[in-house]
Amino acid sequence: MDAVPSREIADMKGAAALPRKNGELVFDEAWQGRIFGMTVAMSHDACFAWRDFQSHLIDEIGHAEREGESSTYYERWLHAFEQLLADKGLLDAVALDERTREFESGRRDDVF
Amino acid sequence: MNGIHDMGGMHGFGRVEREDNEPVFHARWEGRVLGISRACSAHGIFNIDESRHAIERMAPVDYLSSSYYERWHDRNVRLLVEKGVITREELERRMSELAAGKDPATPHSDPKLLDRMLRVTRERTPYRRPGPAPRFAVGDRVLTRHDAPVGHTRLPRYARGKPGVIVRVHGTFIFPDAHAHGQGEQSHALYSVRFDAALLWGESAEPRAPVHIDLWERYLLPDAPARST
Amino acid sequence: MSGTHEHGHHHREPESVLSLRVRALESLLVEKKLVSSEAIDRVVATYEQDIGPHNGAKVVARAWVDPAYRARLLADGTAAIEELGFGGVDLQVVENTPGVHNLVVCTLCSCYPHALIGLPPVWYKSFEYRSRAVREPRVVLREFGVDLPESTEIRIWDSSAELRYLVLPERPAGTERLGEAELAKLVTRDAMIGVAVVKPPAAAAR
Repeated sequence: MDAVPSREIADMKGAAALPRKNGELVFDEAWQGRIFGMTVAMSHDACFAWRDFQSHLIDEIGHAEREGESSTYYERWLHAFEQLLADKGLLDAVALDERTREFESGRRDDVF
Repeated sequence: MNGIHDMGGMHGFGRVEREDNEPVFHARWEGRVLGISRACSAHGIFNIDESRHAIERMAPVDYLSSSYYERWHDRNVRLLVEKGVITREELERRMSELAAGKDPATPHSDPKLLDRMLRVTRERTPYRRPGPAPRFAVGDRVLTRHDAPVGHTRLPRYARGKPGVIVRVHGTFIFPDAHAHGQGEQSHALYSVRFDAALLWGESAEPRAPVHIDLWERYLLPDAPARST
Repeated sequence: MSGTHEHGHHHREPESVLSLRVRALESLLVEKKLVSSEAIDRVVATYEQDIGPHNGAKVVARAWVDPAYRARLLADGTAAIEELGFGGVDLQVVENTPGVHNLVVCTLCSCYPHALIGLPPVWYKSFEYRSRAVREPRVVLREFGVDLPESTEIRIWDSSAELRYLVLPERPAGTERLGEAELAKLVTRDAMIGVAVVKPPAAAAR
């Protein structure tokens, strides 16, 4: 075990609690693990404070619940993360849409 | 000791409550308590038997109204004070300083200590020790002592003065009753002993629900062979 | 798919919109040097290994596929788990059979096989579980959703010493074709404590 998880991240409570089954983190699909890793890695590198992301996540979850959306935890995480990046001027939504289209159409095929 | 911690078989506690997506720690301080405990372990400030007995010595009302990690914190403070590592006055003084926004402690790193703490977390200290040959064998009928020691013991109250059968001879292990009180290891034979539910709980016992407890030889007396139940 | 890439004989499942979006995100962020893919890999690995019963699950899965290992595990749990690289636990493994169900508790505090299955859940350390599991295991198990026939013997193990107990659950029916890794995914922490049985894949709800 070279790295130790941040308890601030691993032990978020309430609606923001990381989905666990049986005491273990659950990523139903690979992209969920990737988005989790991306957010945490950038927070470790001090691109933003974890608190900032957490409040975006809580806001997003609250909004989704109020609207009766059936989105999953990590969908909400993804929206919160995109919003945070936009707020911090780290990412441009147009660029992301374009890049997504490139992957969708097969023009890009990088595998991570 | 006849402590509040010895709660096997007690009535009055309700349903077992479970939490979905339970985090590892419910508050940051819990993780800090665990880390402090590992550090104390790594330094050898107290052994596991002393640490258990320290929790047992909490006043019953405090024990019952504390969460798990609150009990651990209480244990850490109690033993660190008793062992002369800190004083309660020091602790209170530091709490006031922190509340006033001052923190005299300077952060430092200690990779060797961290390594020892991680090892303590990942590995258990072996408690097996050489000791005298076991007196009992698998199949032997035994009777547990019914006297209640004042200090630490691992014979639960519900199994005192009860007949049981040896189902396994585990080997020789450090004896907690001695080790918790600075009386050395006094290692000797540890057994798995099986108890009939009816003999433990009487008429209200569930059928076919035997309880197995790991018990040291000093808790046990030979029982008369053909004992009628 | 349009585009210049040939995928040859490799057939890909249509990728979800979300998956594509996340890939695009990673691609952009890596490009801007805001994150590296290796860092992401490492984070995921660290948090997945954070706390969890996956070590115990591996032991159980091995015992299911390898009868000789199973025998060694039941005879000397400590040595058998060391074969798989898990050390430092003095372990007793107790097997569930059609006639016997095992349940582990520590009435005096909360002893638990940490090294193998992580930190114990709060309920395991609760006064409710510690007081009731030894006296009314059948009722407690029903509260956990496990309904055992009256004829099943329930063996309760009160972990009063430095030995730790692990339940070897019964392998569910219909799993003959599953490999060890897939079997391990079915094994839950609760099943290794004894408050659950392992469900076959179709029944295991996510």
